[in-house]
Amino acid sequence: MAKLSRRKIAALWASELLKGRDITGQVAAYLVESRRVDEATLIVRDTEIALAEHGVVVADLTSAYALSADSREAIEKFLAIKMNADKVAFRESTEPSVIGGVRIETAGRQLDATLKTRLNQLKASKI
Amino acid sequence: MAELSVTELSQELRDAIAKLDVTGDLETVGVVTRVGDGVAWVHGLRSAGYSEVLLIEGSNGETVEAFALNLNEDEIGAVLLGSDEAVRAGAKVTLKGTVLDVPVGPELLGRVVDPLGNPLDGGPAIMAKQRGLVEREAVGVIGRKHVHEPMMTGIMSIDAMFPIGRGQRELIIGDRQTGKTAIAIDTMINQGRQKTGVINVYVAIGQKLSKIARLVERLKEEGVMDQTIIVATGPSDPASLLYLAPYAGTAMGEYFRDNSQHALMIYDDLTKHAVAYRQMSLLLRRPPGREAFPGDVFYLHSRLLERSAKLSDDLGAGSLTALPIIETQAGDISAYVPTNVISITDGQIFLETDLFNQGIRPAISAGLSVSRVGGDAQTKSVKSVGSHLKLGLSQYRELASFAQFGSDLDEATKSQIEKGQRMTELLKQHQYTPASVWEQVASIHAVSEGAFDKVPVSKIKEAQAALLTRLWTDHKKDMQELTKGNEKVSADSKYAKLIEKTAKTVAKGFED
Repeated sequence: MAKLSRRKIAALWASELLKGRDITGQVAAYLVESRRVDEATLIVRDTEIALAEHGVVVADLTSAYALSADSREAIEKFLAIKMNADKVAFRESTEPSVIGGVRIETAGRQLDATLKTRLNQLKASKI
Repeated sequence: MAELSVTELSQELRDAIAKLDVTGDLETVGVVTRVGDGVAWVHGLRSAGYSEVLLIEGSNGETVEAFALNLNEDEIGAVLLGSDEAVRAGAKVTLKGTVLDVPVGPELLGRVVDPLGNPLDGGPAIMAKQRGLVEREAVGVIGRKHVHEPMMTGIMSIDAMFPIGRGQRELIIGDRQTGKTAIAIDTMINQGRQKTGVINVYVAIGQKLSKIARLVERLKEEGVMDQTIIVATGPSDPASLLYLAPYAGTAMGEYFRDNSQHALMIYDDLTKHAVAYRQMSLLLRRPPGREAFPGDVFYLHSRLLERSAKLSDDLGAGSLTALPIIETQAGDISAYVPTNVISITDGQIFLETDLFNQGIRPAISAGLSVSRVGGDAQTKSVKSVGSHLKLGLSQYRELASFAQFGSDLDEATKSQIEKGQRMTELLKQHQYTPASVWEQVASIHAVSEGAFDKVPVSKIKEAQAALLTRLWTDHKKDMQELTKGNEKVSADSKYAKLIEKTAKTVAKGFED
């Protein structure tokens, strides 16, 4: 049997999820059977991209301190507009090394508004 | 409504800019899944275009550039423009939003740069006002004109037998150590000596850096470096840079072509270019074809050489001439890359090892070399003396091989062989001594009209030197006029009589 592309697996998984059916177990079984477990992370990423195309956005938020409800709401609004999303879900994590600001990573796109990145950019531009 | 004035408008605009709330936007990112051998595989970045530049976050905080060559369903194969040591799996990749471009313009003259336009000569950064696309479509049919102006190489055998015109692509092909680069360098030097104003762009593809350094020194000595750009890549550079070098060099040459000037491209050599592309293609998992080259190796060179053109008057009548070099193995011109480039170009100059070893240098094979479009571009005066040269020489070489058997020969054959020997001797030319038009015309006319028939073959070069000195001292004005190339040197012309008379006088001093 020809190897199924990650994109096709992701499209199927996403469409089933949107219909309310969870086929995660079947996807896992397929990956094990076809010895493609290494690709699990990439398939998850692809599935998130496929979900985003249907208006469901899952975003990773990284900040130095826990975000306030206001900030979270603002980010939700921003993502809803930018990604044309009906539903936005977050996975939050705190990382003191980013110093300040927030990094939003979602479905193949990102907004890095952390102080750490700004400082690195300044350093790179050798001002 | 309040009346608007220009000053208010500009003030309002400034205020609006000051107040503008600049928020970041979501940028497309991908991630490196695998990296090695100068190739990175990237997940994501579905909007990336072919040949688009990717920026990969390096492990040391620096950004490594790459360009996308394989756009697959699940991943992108990108070729790194720098070292792959700084790139790790998991690194973030963003799109630069542009395809590859290089600085172009007169600021590059006299400089040695890499294929990305960075200086390699230790000089200051290149502050070019313009940038040119590395991959650019060639000019269409309407934008072109037939090749009609000469591109003098200063090498008698080429200018007389296989003339090259501005906008032509003439291949220089031969085994290793047959003087291919020497022809190209002499042509560059001749542009300086004859003050043609032609800009030289020398593209070194995987050449030894010591060789490039020697070339730069020589060009400086000859005073040609001011009108030369050198795009250099060494054998230790990544294959991606070797692959880009000729395209980047062409972009630099095209600037002059498009600004009504004339440029000469030398690609030294396209065999190494094809090998670099083969390496990249195999690493990108593209299926190998003949000699393990990928399927599009013809397109690789045809799209490059098609950019050399003579532009129409509407586009400024500029030109870009190309002298690609191909190295053959044991004289095999039927290998894959040589046949491809032979069919793409407008002719080839074939150099033979045997001739080179016999001391006939440049070792140009009269039988296998050809110039398909240069005839119209040949200088009138050279054409008038060199029209029968090619046939005569080819016949002589054939007769000479028969004569080796030592049988008795009739007078006509003997005289043809002797004339051939003299002509062959005359066409020998040392490196770095390109001849001007009048020198070529006078030398060839003197030998072909039989003025040197009594001079022994071994003394032909001396007699030629004496003739040229005599003509220059006694008839400088005439020779300067002749060098313009507009005069035909036919049997009854003033120049023909002048040359024959002087040659006969000079020849007396060299007869046995």
